[in-house]
Amino acid sequence: MTDAPLLNVSNYSVGFKTERGLARAVDGVSFTIGAGETLGIVGESGSGKSVLNRSIMGLIASSRQIETGSVLFDGSEMVNQDRQNFWGNRIGMIFQDPMTSLNPVMKVGKQVAEPLRQHLGMSKRQAIERTIELFTNVGIPSPAQRTKQYPHELSGGMRQRVMIAIALAAEPEFLIADEPTTALDVTVQKYILDLLNRLQAEHGMAMTLITHDLGIARGRTDQVLVMYGGRVMEHAPTEELFTHTRHPYTEALLASIPRLDHKKHARLTPIPGAPPNIVEPPPGCRFSPRCKYAQARCVQSSPTVDGAEHRYACFFPVGTDAGAEALASNRAAGETATGLKMSHFEVDA
Amino acid sequence: MRSEGRTVDAPPEAPSEFVEEKTLGWGFWLAVGWIVTVVGAAALAPYLPLKDPQENFLIQGERPPYSPSLEHFFGTDQDARDMFSRTIYGARVSLVVGFSAIAFGLLVGGSLGMMAGFLKGWFDRVVSFLFLVLLSFPALVLAILITSLLSRGLQTISMTIGILSIAPVGRLARAATLVYAERDFVMAARTIGAKNTRILLRELLPNVVIPMGAIALLGVAIVIVVEGALAFLGLSVEKGSTWGKLILNGTGTRVLESAPWVAFAPICALFLTVMALNYAGDRLRDYFDVKELSL
Amino acid sequence: MKYWTQRLTMVLALMLAVSMLTFASMNVLGDPLFNILGPISGDRKTPENLVKIEAAEKQYYLDKPLPERYVRWLGDFVTGDMGVRFAATGQPPVTELVKERLPRSLWLVFMAQVLALAIAVPWGVWSASRSNSLANKASTVAAFGFVSVPNFALAVILYYIFALKLGLFPLRYDASASFLTRKTQLLLPALTLALPGAAVYQRLLRTDLITTLQEDFILTARAKGVPRRQILFRHALRPSLFSVVTIFGVNAGGMIGGALVVETFFGIPGAGTAIVEAILREDFPVVLALVMIIATGFVVLNFVVDILYSILDPRVRS
Ligand SMILES: Nc1ncnc2c1ncn2[C@@H]1O[C@H](COP(=O)(O)OP(=O)(O)O)[C@@H](O)[C@H]1O
Ligand code: SF4
Ligand SMILES: [Mg+2]
Repeated sequence: MTDAPLLNVSNYSVGFKTERGLARAVDGVSFTIGAGETLGIVGESGSGKSVLNRSIMGLIASSRQIETGSVLFDGSEMVNQDRQNFWGNRIGMIFQDPMTSLNPVMKVGKQVAEPLRQHLGMSKRQAIERTIELFTNVGIPSPAQRTKQYPHELSGGMRQRVMIAIALAAEPEFLIADEPTTALDVTVQKYILDLLNRLQAEHGMAMTLITHDLGIARGRTDQVLVMYGGRVMEHAPTEELFTHTRHPYTEALLASIPRLDHKKHARLTPIPGAPPNIVEPPPGCRFSPRCKYAQARCVQSSPTVDGAEHRYACFFPVGTDAGAEALASNRAAGETATGLKMSHFEVDA
Repeated sequence: MRSEGRTVDAPPEAPSEFVEEKTLGWGFWLAVGWIVTVVGAAALAPYLPLKDPQENFLIQGERPPYSPSLEHFFGTDQDARDMFSRTIYGARVSLVVGFSAIAFGLLVGGSLGMMAGFLKGWFDRVVSFLFLVLLSFPALVLAILITSLLSRGLQTISMTIGILSIAPVGRLARAATLVYAERDFVMAARTIGAKNTRILLRELLPNVVIPMGAIALLGVAIVIVVEGALAFLGLSVEKGSTWGKLILNGTGTRVLESAPWVAFAPICALFLTVMALNYAGDRLRDYFDVKELSL
Repeated sequence: MKYWTQRLTMVLALMLAVSMLTFASMNVLGDPLFNILGPISGDRKTPENLVKIEAAEKQYYLDKPLPERYVRWLGDFVTGDMGVRFAATGQPPVTELVKERLPRSLWLVFMAQVLALAIAVPWGVWSASRSNSLANKASTVAAFGFVSVPNFALAVILYYIFALKLGLFPLRYDASASFLTRKTQLLLPALTLALPGAAVYQRLLRTDLITTLQEDFILTARAKGVPRRQILFRHALRPSLFSVVTIFGVNAGGMIGGALVVETFFGIPGAGTAIVEAILREDFPVVLALVMIIATGFVVLNFVVDILYSILDPRVRS
């Protein structure tokens, strides 16, 4: 890829003015996505994934929001610009909960037809025909009948297929899928993810796949961005991230991936503690209160995101001597520099 | 996690309304101030340095009604009577009717509703049906029906309007009781074997009284309006003047055209008072989080 | 199905209770014979008066016990015969009177509701879509004012401004004018009834719209590029109309009450003035008939509201 990437995000931050101070929901995030590429964005709930993507799209309609940094989409600057022309037209979006994301009092066919008429200027008849095609394409059986139904008459998986049809209606170059399977049954999840990958390949579309489940990103993405408390913790090509995990947070996320051979969504090793307060974040590394590698240095200063292909923000990376030493000294002391008992991590599943 | 996105997508500035700390606000105190002034002026009218509301202040060579002046703040009516003092005196009947009617409604409707909500069973069904029947009459039709069949004295009018407020007040009391009867403290009282009357009076009443108090203010406003409407139809108290009667007196086409103040002085007094009662009641309702309102 | 049978039973029981209550109170508290014959009704000693009294008693079934009279009246009523008036001549029959007067009131209330909605919907959408501006604070105050102003006062105010000062409307209702003129004559009275209703609808609509606009599906609509206006009117409006529809029935009841005052003030010979006149003259058959019609209308309206619910929300249908 010699030409400029489709999406170039650099040092992008989003804050919200609140009574208690500025909530830094996204803090200095950078990444690029080339045409047809897939980026996975992973992090616990509340780590700023949705705000990052909605904000990039300019969908947050709040005068309390503050955006800084730069986002170039196909060469044009998006930050603090009106991005309405991109919505649905060049960038499509799918949301987490298909139960609430579809208009409950509008027939689904009409909901798909809307962007067709809006962006492609189709007539009513054309839009209906195209909707049926789209429904067939996303695997909705008896599509003509389905168009006349209301969302509550469809199953969760069917509704998410409708959402995908809506997002793809105007054939955008870029698709943002914000936890598209979180609200769905495990059995349907794989189908929807495969569908997204297939459609992406067919349309040569770039995609951001947001998930809190690191396992989903494996095999479906080209690169993965791990977020915590609004910041990038680790960013690497997908296989590299899984095989040479550097960041303790990524390691902790990996340890908590639900496996099919375990009880549904049972976590192997839950990460102790809660996501940070983004109005008054902890000093130093934001992950330090929950990190089993944490040393005195982690509280004194903040690590920056360093590296070329494989970037991470940590003083004592996993799989390095510094990391091993830090872990050993914490084990010996029985607790981390932030006073977290090491016994939390030693419990068996 | 369904709600996590909500904060993100709030329409512009909407959140500020919701995060605002709960206070009654200065508007509330302004409204209360007005209500206190009106009630005070009405109660003390005979002792205030007011003109006699019945006296004719005829000026030689000029035909009444006279327009507002330093002598007559609100002007005079066709009979050269001072509108300012007439408006204040008019408040007396309107307010007496307003407060006594709602007191009646609270007493009867409130206790019926509370008992229905507490005892449930057939008693609840009968009372609820009774409320529904009362609500099936348009209020004003019921009011003129009763007043025309009975006398048109102060008590009858107050009681008639009081009867109208039984159903809405009663339904509210019933709903509030149903909610509180499920709460822990009532359950606890029951398990230690407290008598029904004791639970009703000691545990439930204090909790039901708060929402009812907020409703009472709105109720007084409604009653004043109903009384005014009755007066407008010529069906309010025969003796003494009320705001409704004063307004009616000023609405003949000729008076209205040449001397609008005769109608508009009592209209303003009535409007401001009703608005103040409504606003104060509304704020109280918000403040105490009273949801159901079926008035 | 069970739900509808239950509702229907409830409605019938309500109507029976209302009619019994009205019938009994008028017969017990009032004196029908006096209302028909005047002062001679108490004089059974004079033979010629006695003849008149007995004739009247026969004609109006006054010699029968109360329950029987009620059953007879009810039987007649449901077959469309509302009886004879208590006026000396008994003319015109109640049914005729109702036929003449009721349509005007129905038109009035109908126009008032349409006006109220026509004002409230754009106003509510506007104020929900820009919730904190100064103009919006003013609109809140205005709404509060309209809710608080009693309809007789509003009638005087509107009449003063639009009829007396601006001369836009006639001063009196003219029943002999052409159809269209008569409807324009109803505009000012209808507006009197409509404004407080509009303010109530606007408040409810605004609150519900603000909630709806925070729903996920609004985000979807924005993300797929639906223009702002269409989001407001096509996506957000319909799911935000529930409170308005709920209060619609209640408000219609209020408007019927208001119609008594407004018709009287504007001199419209409708059912409202008919009922006021009849009550003052203790012409009970007329009162009874109109009260029953109004109560029935009320009930029917609540059915309409139920149907409207299912139109607004397809989920209710299944
Ligand atoms: N409008 C807002 N005002 C203040 N804080 C917000 C707003 N929207 C989101 N946040 C905060 O930003 C953080 C990130 O939220 P989000 O992006 O939804 O997380 P994720 O999608 O990763 O679960 C959360 O702590 C949330 O509370
Ligand atoms: S080791 Fe230190 S810098 Fe690295 S994640 Fe843990 S706390 Fe942060
Ligand atoms: Mg999210």
